[in-house]
Amino acid sequence: MSERKLTRRQFMGYAGLVASATVASACRPAATAAPTGTPAAPPPEAPTATPAATEGPTVAPVTAATAVPARYREAPMLKELVDQGALPPVDERLPEEPLVQPVVEEIGQYGGTWRRGFLGPSDHNNYTRVAYDALVRFTPDGGDVVPHIIKGWESSEDFTTWKLHLRPGMKWSDGEPFTADDIMFWYEHIVLNEELSPSVPGWMRNADGSVAKVEKLDDYTVQWVYQGPNTVFLLELANKDGADKAIMNLSFVPAHYLKQFHPDFVEKEELDAKVKAAGFETWVELFAVEAMPHVGGKRPSTAAWVPDGSTVSDQIFALKRNPYYFAVDPEGNQLPYIDHLRFTFFADVEGLNLAAVAGEIDMQGRHINMTNYPVLVENAEKGGYRVLTWPTFGGCDAVLMCNQTFVNNPAIGELLRVKDFRIALSHAMDREQIRETAFLGLGEPRQPVPAPWHPYYPGDEWAYKYIERDLDKANELLDSIGLDQRDGDGFRLLPNGERLDLEIQVIPAFANWPDVGQIVVQNWADVGVRAHVEIRERALGFQMRDTNDLMIEIWNDDTTGFPFTGQPKQDPRSTIALTFGPLFRKWYETGGAEGMEPPPEIKRLVEIIDEAKVSSRERQIELAQELFRIWADNVWELGTVGLTPMVQGVVVVNKDMRNVPETAGNDWPLRTPGNTRPEQYFFKR
Amino acid sequence: MIAYVIKRLLLLPLLLFLFSVFAFFVIQAPPGDFLTSYIAQLAASGTSMDRAQIDALRQLYGLDQPVAVQYLKWVTRVMHGDLGVSLDWQRSNLQLIQERLVLTVVIALLTLLLTWAVAVPVGIYSATHQYSWGDYLFAVLNYVGVATPSFLVALVLMWLAFRYLGISVTGLFSPEYVNAPWSLERVIDLLRHIWVPVIILGLSGTARLARIMRANLLDELHKPYVAMARAKGLPEWKVVLRYPVRLAINPLISSIGWYLPQIFSGSLIVATVLNLPTIGPLMLRSLINQDMFLAGAIVLIYCLLAILGTLISDLLLAWADPRIRVER
Repeated sequence: MSERKLTRRQFMGYAGLVASATVASACRPAATAAPTGTPAAPPPEAPTATPAATEGPTVAPVTAATAVPARYREAPMLKELVDQGALPPVDERLPEEPLVQPVVEEIGQYGGTWRRGFLGPSDHNNYTRVAYDALVRFTPDGGDVVPHIIKGWESSEDFTTWKLHLRPGMKWSDGEPFTADDIMFWYEHIVLNEELSPSVPGWMRNADGSVAKVEKLDDYTVQWVYQGPNTVFLLELANKDGADKAIMNLSFVPAHYLKQFHPDFVEKEELDAKVKAAGFETWVELFAVEAMPHVGGKRPSTAAWVPDGSTVSDQIFALKRNPYYFAVDPEGNQLPYIDHLRFTFFADVEGLNLAAVAGEIDMQGRHINMTNYPVLVENAEKGGYRVLTWPTFGGCDAVLMCNQTFVNNPAIGELLRVKDFRIALSHAMDREQIRETAFLGLGEPRQPVPAPWHPYYPGDEWAYKYIERDLDKANELLDSIGLDQRDGDGFRLLPNGERLDLEIQVIPAFANWPDVGQIVVQNWADVGVRAHVEIRERALGFQMRDTNDLMIEIWNDDTTGFPFTGQPKQDPRSTIALTFGPLFRKWYETGGAEGMEPPPEIKRLVEIIDEAKVSSRERQIELAQELFRIWADNVWELGTVGLTPMVQGVVVVNKDMRNVPETAGNDWPLRTPGNTRPEQYFFKR
Repeated sequence: MIAYVIKRLLLLPLLLFLFSVFAFFVIQAPPGDFLTSYIAQLAASGTSMDRAQIDALRQLYGLDQPVAVQYLKWVTRVMHGDLGVSLDWQRSNLQLIQERLVLTVVIALLTLLLTWAVAVPVGIYSATHQYSWGDYLFAVLNYVGVATPSFLVALVLMWLAFRYLGISVTGLFSPEYVNAPWSLERVIDLLRHIWVPVIILGLSGTARLARIMRANLLDELHKPYVAMARAKGLPEWKVVLRYPVRLAINPLISSIGWYLPQIFSGSLIVATVLNLPTIGPLMLRSLINQDMFLAGAIVLIYCLLAILGTLISDLLLAWADPRIRVER
């Protein structure tokens, strides 16, 4: 059993993570009742830990649901090695208390190779999503955080101290012990090393900018100490898995391996020689490569599969099972079930899709284009696969973000800041047409707020606010804000008599957003608003976001379920890749010296986000709902269609592969399919 | 002749230097840098990084320095025979190019062979049988071959192969041989896959060359020396092959110069569609991602090939046609 010592109050405080799952199940009927003909609005799985939420102070994490089996079994390929004496017996490889991973359908069979496609080195998150190697992880429905590598946690009453309990006897994939020192190495020699981390990651900082403390209590206990309360700690920790190839996104590393590349442990000459041999200029570059299993190819890992020496830069990136993986199924079979994982490089995404149609991919949603859904279904039998749909966790799969700090054309900038103008544009849009044309009739017209089954859902009133097509209302609003003059073609003129022409930028990244843009342009023309679509290459488009040169942009809102961690799109300060209001960000960055001061409702968003990071879960939910009410009410983003499987949600699964859930929470912070526990997938022969 | 060759070779470093400056600055010309496009890619995968992380990376890769400084650092390394490390792949550029070079050259040479082996006879046949049934047939085929973009042919072929054979014809190896070291089995596996890209790539080149050959030969066939040879009683095939073909083939030889670099870059889209591990897609990718050290290295190699290619065709031409020998 995992250690979880909590007072009742503490529990009530953060068990909201669990509560979210409760709410999830409570809201489910609303979700399935959505009258949209969605192939699968994702009713999340029955949350695993909910019964405890109403009971008492012992929160049972997922692992505790099943007792630790009395004896262990292992894969035939490892059995062979044990018999040859090349590997210690399974009992010695597993920690004292292995993670007992429930299976989705049935106890699996060992063997097989899981084939996936990837697009080269920049597609490294393809690996991260499958490995999902973190201290804690999200549950399959995405509503809860559960222990993974650690066996449990405790927090202080005021949420300033978080104590993590590791699994005694757990080992890295090379057989070396995994201890508190592996976390301390990361803290002392990566986070606190100014060359490796010129700036400390946000989640490791206190409110005043100083670095949070990480302390080793004993070999298997580590604690984080923040100056103030931190209630998003676990949510952040669930994403510290080296995603984006960034060492700053780690929270533990194999100290025994990385010491050989760190100047704190190696003589300068020796290290310089290694750097030179690898073709780099500085040790930092070499370290950044060696610290990542999928980039260096040799680093030991704690994930279910480890690279066999190949990397994400190879034509085929191959992984093999980690003989020391710390999890077993409820019958004591060491996981993973599948022996090998093979990522095949595709220079072109359509080539990858053709491979999927041909049945050459065993389980993948990433890079499978939703527009190919009909072709995929048509060839499913021939290709020997089935097609699942995992709609995104919330939000909207095409939104028109109106830049609130556009200044290149002051008259248009002024207009974009007028709420009634945005409401008029929203009423002029024909979302049903967009849904039919660009989304194959999937999903539902809605504003960019979380899904109905999500605890942050602000309510139908806001989800469907301003979305009905009402040309009279739109015309009335437009006339009332001084756009009542028209040119010879019937298009409205700006109040200053100049021509009004809105530009919608589209970067064709995920779906046929250009189609969405074209429909919107036609829709707006019906109320006399002239607009045009500008399709741009990604790098240029992103550059223009940063330099505040965009009026309106189409993108998606896939991280709506996570407004308080990472880089939420609702936070004007957060990311450099946001059209919302680049000058607001500058205003916050420079303490008000430069940029543009945000209006009160946007300042309120920032207050909400800051308060939520130090609030109890109940308060977080209240705050999030308020945030999304403000968000939908102000229509800075004009939502179109949401809850579709557009973002990596059309999942191709080999017909023999089992234990893949029919539906799952699907979002980047969840590392989908990582949250569905790929280590218990198996091929049924 | 030797002096001519030496002079050309001496010019090589200067040309390369000019090209390198040009290439590097052109690659830098679009807005943003490697990190902008890197972030764009991450965003397309659904992630975003915070500013501190990006600034740290920019510093790590030296992208915070002026372009001129970045160029000087790069060119200094190049002069020491070190093509630098790719920002995108985090590996040595030389290694990346080397492992793709062999396959690129093999495909290029096979395509060239196929092109010539088909185009020259077809051209000769069409010219000697002008306005015949066969000539028209080849003409139609040639027009189709020239007019159809080869990437489209690739897509159609891929679909047909999947539809009727149930296989995907992408790549050059079966999965088990992709990362394997070279062996006889791997070569055989390569030969089983390579014909697809070779045919696709050769298609438009063959069609074009056949038309050129036909036109050139037609010019020659009506010249007095041909009539003379015929009058002397030589068999018709000997008349044609001995003299007019040899002259008609000159323009083809002189085109080898630009054919060399073109086969490397010209196959770019087809290689991307067919997922071939050649240099073309590597170059395309490096340009899109603004991975300027890699792009610069490839452009340099292209320039080198263009210069060498021109030299080779000059030499070949001199050898094939005594009339245009360079004499000093």
